Amino acid sequence: MILGYLGVGALLAGLVLGGFSTLLSFWAGAREDPVFIQVARRAFYSAAAMTLLASALLEFALLTHDFSLAYVAEHTDLSTPIALVAAGFYGGQEGSLLYWTLILGLLGSASLVASSSLGGRVAAYAAGILAAILTFFLFVLAVVASPFALLSVTPPDGLGLNPVLRDGGMLIHPPVVLAGFAAFAIPFAFACAALLAGRADASWIAHTRRFALVAWCLQTTGLLLGMWWAYHVLGWGGYWGWDPVENVALMPWLATTAYLHSAQVQEKRGRLRAWNFGLVILAFLLVVFGTFIVRSGVVPSVHTFAISAIGPWFLGFLGVCLAFSGVLLAVRASALGTATTRPAAAISREGAFVLQNVLLIGVIAVVFWGTVLPLVSGMFGVERVVGAPYYERAAAPLLAAILALMAVGPLLPWRRAGRPTVRALRWPAATAVLALAVLGAAGVRSVAARIAIPLAAAAASTVFTEYGRALRRNPEAIARGRRRYGAYLAHLGLVVVAVGIAASHLGQQEKDVTLAPGQQVTVAGYTLTYTGAASRQDGDHTDFIAGMQFGDRTLQPSRATYAGLGGQALTHVAISTTPVADVYVVLADTNPDGSASFRVIVNPLVTWIWAGGAVIIIGVVLGNLGERSPVGELARRRIPATLPV
Amino acid sequence: MTLALKWGIPVAVVAACVGYLIYTASGGTSEYYVTVSELRAHAQTGDVRVAGVVQDDVQKSDGGLHVTFTEKDGTASMPVEYSGTLPDIFKPGITVVAEGRLGADGVFHARALLAKCPSRFSTQPYTS
Repeated sequence: MILGYLGVGALLAGLVLGGFSTLLSFWAGAREDPVFIQVARRAFYSAAAMTLLASALLEFALLTHDFSLAYVAEHTDLSTPIALVAAGFYGGQEGSLLYWTLILGLLGSASLVASSSLGGRVAAYAAGILAAILTFFLFVLAVVASPFALLSVTPPDGLGLNPVLRDGGMLIHPPVVLAGFAAFAIPFAFACAALLAGRADASWIAHTRRFALVAWCLQTTGLLLGMWWAYHVLGWGGYWGWDPVENVALMPWLATTAYLHSAQVQEKRGRLRAWNFGLVILAFLLVVFGTFIVRSGVVPSVHTFAISAIGPWFLGFLGVCLAFSGVLLAVRASALGTATTRPAAAISREGAFVLQNVLLIGVIAVVFWGTVLPLVSGMFGVERVVGAPYYERAAAPLLAAILALMAVGPLLPWRRAGRPTVRALRWPAATAVLALAVLGAAGVRSVAARIAIPLAAAAASTVFTEYGRALRRNPEAIARGRRRYGAYLAHLGLVVVAVGIAASHLGQQEKDVTLAPGQQVTVAGYTLTYTGAASRQDGDHTDFIAGMQFGDRTLQPSRATYAGLGGQALTHVAISTTPVADVYVVLADTNPDGSASFRVIVNPLVTWIWAGGAVIIIGVVLGNLGERSPVGELARRRIPATLPV
Repeated sequence: MTLALKWGIPVAVVAACVGYLIYTASGGTSEYYVTVSELRAHAQTGDVRVAGVVQDDVQKSDGGLHVTFTEKDGTASMPVEYSGTLPDIFKPGITVVAEGRLGADGVFHARALLAKCPSRFSTQPYTS
């Protein structure tokens, strides 16, 4: 009970401090008053500290089973394992918003500490924008969706967590994704602050890029963990369903991917400034839009979040952010457009980056349209929805073009491509032809695979060509240009992911069978023998476990039935990974006569997705850890500091 | 050629391609999303997704890989037939979205069944 009051108190204190920091930051920033800028900053740190306190109180209430709090009673019970009780913090609507706010406060504070070199005005405006976002979240938490709401009668036990979520994936996937979402606010704040102050200089790029990278890495990891979790737990044999919840996590990632590439054009050539601001702003707007979409229930989704009153608030917040950043960009864009270097030819490194950006924006447009179609068509008649075939048909050509660009782009010089470039392209071209021949010899007939895999091979060949050239000339160049070579490593990881996705998606084979003990099933050349099933009572559920002999391994797909939850079932998939494919067995049902029904799926090269994902993250982290600040270097290149505003 | 033309034309071409892809893909693959009574009121010839509540008459056969049941909303109901593995939370009383088409026999032949989780996170809201 007392925890509830303390929690609300902490949220309200944070709300007041956040509001104070917002107003003071803008006021002091406009006057460039260093003392008050400092005071406003400290108010932000204090608001973040209040969020931390509220989070600690909620976590304490969960761990001590304080069922007087509605949130604790609705998301945990006495029998829930302690790790999942702790995970209940971000497991529900209100708690996940508090967790988001916490990450925003902590990362925001870190970015403000790191931004002291940015100059008074930009840093102050950034603090003001971050404080305004933090204040909005604290307002929603304190007034609209409080995690500290009290029940009139304290129940003896809580409701517990849905069995589907009682899984290790619950411990890692949601916190990473939510942290990624929160992190997009920081580059947004710095972008808007720089526009407000009329500065788009080197230190702004360095700063924004750093925090965009943090958000990008978190989101990459979160997306991959979500795919991994869905694949291992949900039992439909796939990892991506184009559900709105997945789409809204993908879109800001795509926008930030575009920014991280086009930022290089600004760094190296002083161009695309307005465009870069636009991308950073777009990523954050997509985050807010996504939060509104999935938490308001306006589009049909397999994931129905508890529908609550926060939808309209987020719509309003989206409107304010859109108007604020849109007006800011429109007013400042003409000043930003000033070219400082001679224009480049269309076939050049610049051109490759621009094309990559346009293609990524195209993918965002495809995903966005698919996500909002039910909403838009519902306004003009019968609601229409699109499924995976739409996304595949519309996005696949764009993704193939991006792969092709990954093969060509890194080999193009800045400014203008000439004859030596054509020579450099011979290795990726030869690799693509070779890959096509290998696919033909292996009897792969899928046209999509015959396009995607040779393009991926060509992109990999480009990475090896670049590494080979550096190693021959001067191996130290790799350590010195580690950002570049780290990025190539990330490209290689993405290529591996792309091959994994293409192979598992296009080459998947599945069979639904009912087998008596001793009978066999063969899928894609893999033979499994059903050896019989057993049942076992385990706490609040009954497990039916089937045995499937696969070579010298025994797979044990099982199915748990929860009597207390109206007979809800939970499938435990059995997966056997061989070097070229995953054998994925789902137990559909067991019958009284001893027979059992299975869905057996063979997914080629799925493990490549997880391995490639790890390579991407390693590449980005190695490329950017301990990297010299590029600020000095940019200053040497005389890219002007302030805009002619 | 001016700068705007040199860069603008390729960008416009790519943008037009994206628009064309979205237009053709959504035209060819979109499905109506209706409730049972809406489907009864306006029969659709193509594939549709129909949302409704699973009734108590679930009949499984073929070792649980084939199932028939009645899907109902407030006013209308229809028989549904489906082959394949069922979603974990499938049981009478939950909301399902059946994807497929209504046959001439009056039975809805589903290609896919999507179960709506009662809530993403919690089992049910506390009502006491």
